[in-house]
Amino acid sequence: MAKKVLNVEDDVDTRTFVSTVLEKNGYTPILAKDGEEGMRKVGEERPDLIILDILMPKQSGIKMYHELKTDPSLKDIPVIMLSAVSKRTFLRSQEALTEFGDETVPEPQAYLEKPVEPEDLAEILRKILG
Amino acid sequence: MKITKMLFVSEFEELWLDALQSLMGLRKAGLNHVVFLHVIHREKVAMKRGTGYLKQEERKLREIADIRFIDWAETLFEEGMEVGAHIVIGNTVPKILSVTEDEGVDLIVTARRKRGKLEELYAGSETSDLLRRTVKPVLIYNYLSQSGKVGENPFERLLLGLDWSVSSERVLDYVLALKGAVKRVDIIHVLSEKAIGKLSKKEAQKLEREHKKRLNEVCDVLTQERFDARPHLYIGNTEEQIGKGASEHRVTMIVLGTRSKSVWKERWSGSVSHALAERSELPILVVPAETK
Repeated sequence: MAKKVLNVEDDVDTRTFVSTVLEKNGYTPILAKDGEEGMRKVGEERPDLIILDILMPKQSGIKMYHELKTDPSLKDIPVIMLSAVSKRTFLRSQEALTEFGDETVPEPQAYLEKPVEPEDLAEILRKILG
Repeated sequence: MKITKMLFVSEFEELWLDALQSLMGLRKAGLNHVVFLHVIHREKVAMKRGTGYLKQEERKLREIADIRFIDWAETLFEEGMEVGAHIVIGNTVPKILSVTEDEGVDLIVTARRKRGKLEELYAGSETSDLLRRTVKPVLIYNYLSQSGKVGENPFERLLLGLDWSVSSERVLDYVLALKGAVKRVDIIHVLSEKAIGKLSKKEAQKLEREHKKRLNEVCDVLTQERFDARPHLYIGNTEEQIGKGASEHRVTMIVLGTRSKSVWKERWSGSVSHALAERSELPILVVPAETK
């Protein structure tokens, strides 16, 4: 059975691009357009991996990542960050959230800054999911 | 009535990152989430004879907005804030209203918005249109026209204009929710010359005493919540006197309520909050009546 990959992304073009890469490489894409919908889909679909954007309406990828990694039942789902927001900002924001009393979270499996080449994304997916 | 989520509307001509950062004092009052909104006006990308829909132009404008919002968002994310963004095509006011509803924001921050002369004559300015149609508090925030700078923290010293209507109570509740972000509140009520002119000296003194009593009661409520509050009774034209009070007490922002008048009634009889929102150089926080 094909592995399920949840892509949380508000930009339609990027969603289409990622879906195409996923399908071409034998994965089943599940799509969500913001962090709120993303968390709902995580609960419903239990994806094998999440590709996560950061700057989105309703709930950002930064908050969603923090929620995932501080939930014992979800923290082992691998996450690839795919965003135009820099990795430095992402790591600092996670530190800032930790300062407010939450537990420390690990770094994501991969951090890709947009734009990403399809073969680079496919290779990272293969490395993580096999 | 807490302010945890703020909508920051920018066309990148009037409000920039420094304006946004000057509002970060609101974090002391509970603000933890900022939502950016940029509306690409429909006419900028609309169908044109011979060219069709300007898809390439739309892509360019979206990309420009995206780059700017990412830069702003990075600054806020690093401070531990939650940030979201909407880049949409359409008309400004309806889009502000729909994103406000969709995101459930507690405060809308926008610059003063004008329309073409003819359109303003029939429909009023976009600012008035927004104030008429939203039930959420709106902060009309502009760069001071002369200096091109924003104050460091507009919430530091407030001039709270009260007319004893139901909306005044809502304004007071809203100011109380700003605890932590506000240093001082000057409360003002303006009596009209007309009302005083018809009264005998004794009656006028009695009226003055009544209004002072009410002002002191509001002052007590704020003082109990550890605000530094001072009452002021002014007399004359409301809009002018509020402007005068703002200048005399060196406030950083004016806070007013709006009554729920019908569009036509408001356009003919006028509205102090709308008039000040259109003209004041200071930021104006307008807290609308709860229902429209």
